[in-house]
Amino acid sequence: MNQPLRQSDLEAYLDEAMPPEEMARIEDALRKDAELVRELAAINARRDAGLHSLGAIWRRERLSCPSRDQLGSYLLGILPDEMADYVDFHIEVVGCRYCRANLADLKNRQAEEPRAAETRRRKYFQSSAGYLRRK
Amino acid sequence: MSAASQSDSLLIGRIRDGEAEAWNELIGRFEGRLLAFVESRTRNRAAAEDVVQEAFIGLLTSLPNFDQRRPLEGYLFSIAAHKLTDHLRREGRRPALPLAPSSTHTSTSSWEPPGRGRVASSIFRSRERRQLEETALADAMREQLDYWRRRGDWQKVRCVELLFVRGWPNKEVATRLKISEQVVANHKFEFLAKLRTAVRKQNLPEDVFPELYEKQ
Repeated sequence: MNQPLRQSDLEAYLDEAMPPEEMARIEDALRKDAELVRELAAINARRDAGLHSLGAIWRRERLSCPSRDQLGSYLLGILPDEMADYVDFHIEVVGCRYCRANLADLKNRQAEEPRAAETRRRKYFQSSAGYLRRK
Repeated sequence: MSAASQSDSLLIGRIRDGEAEAWNELIGRFEGRLLAFVESRTRNRAAAEDVVQEAFIGLLTSLPNFDQRRPLEGYLFSIAAHKLTDHLRREGRRPALPLAPSSTHTSTSSWEPPGRGRVASSIFRSRERRQLEETALADAMREQLDYWRRRGDWQKVRCVELLFVRGWPNKEVATRLKISEQVVANHKFEFLAKLRTAVRKQNLPEDVFPELYEKQ
């Protein structure tokens, strides 16, 4: 059964920081419930008024995210047990979107055809290099 | 500063000098994780690549305002989240919110012009002040979490993460971590007491951190 939506869920939704399945659940609820939309607007208004939320600061500053090196060791299964258990918790229970993206990237780098990544990176470079400061 | 942050900071310096090779290196370093972040929501590779492309342009255009002491990865993720939100709104998946006059990313939206109807200088001042408050509280939380991690108190880290990041009530946290509600309440009290001390020491206004002073 789905958990009820909490204010912290809505805060994370506004920051695009929930796991995709949770984001989709909130979007579905927003389509059906005007009161929920007003709650989101109220959170924005509190932010505008200068109120801080511990959860939002924690996520933004990534206070408990393992480093990229630690995530690599986690994938290789060489992280100490205690830390590996924590990474499991952070990814699966907390659902950290940024660490999930890093893990997916580390896995893709092993599996993806190098030419595909190269083509993509060239496209990014060509579309953006014009914004570089001229030497 | 970690080795990764130092390396990112050096890269940013070279990009600020207009070095194309450094820009190419940054794209190679970060595009995969940004693409994974965005694609998990768009479920469409081409659309995700467009959003990532916009995020990279957003980074270059906002570079004069970027504080090099901030982690680059977090900054890039916040730009990507912002561009992704715009994309999902255009697709009709994210609702436009009423009575939400400014950005949801108060501390990170320097790549966007200030909203209409507000004086830019007042927004700038309030952003600066909020950033100082946020940094002070983040430092206090980081210090406490580091202390617990060094001592191997992972249960406390998990407990406060579920309470404050996921917003779970004490009872659910207790069930999940297989501890009593009293133990959850003790961990919560210890964490909040440390933060309140930090707020007091730095003469920060108490009323902007309502969670620190809620009745337990």
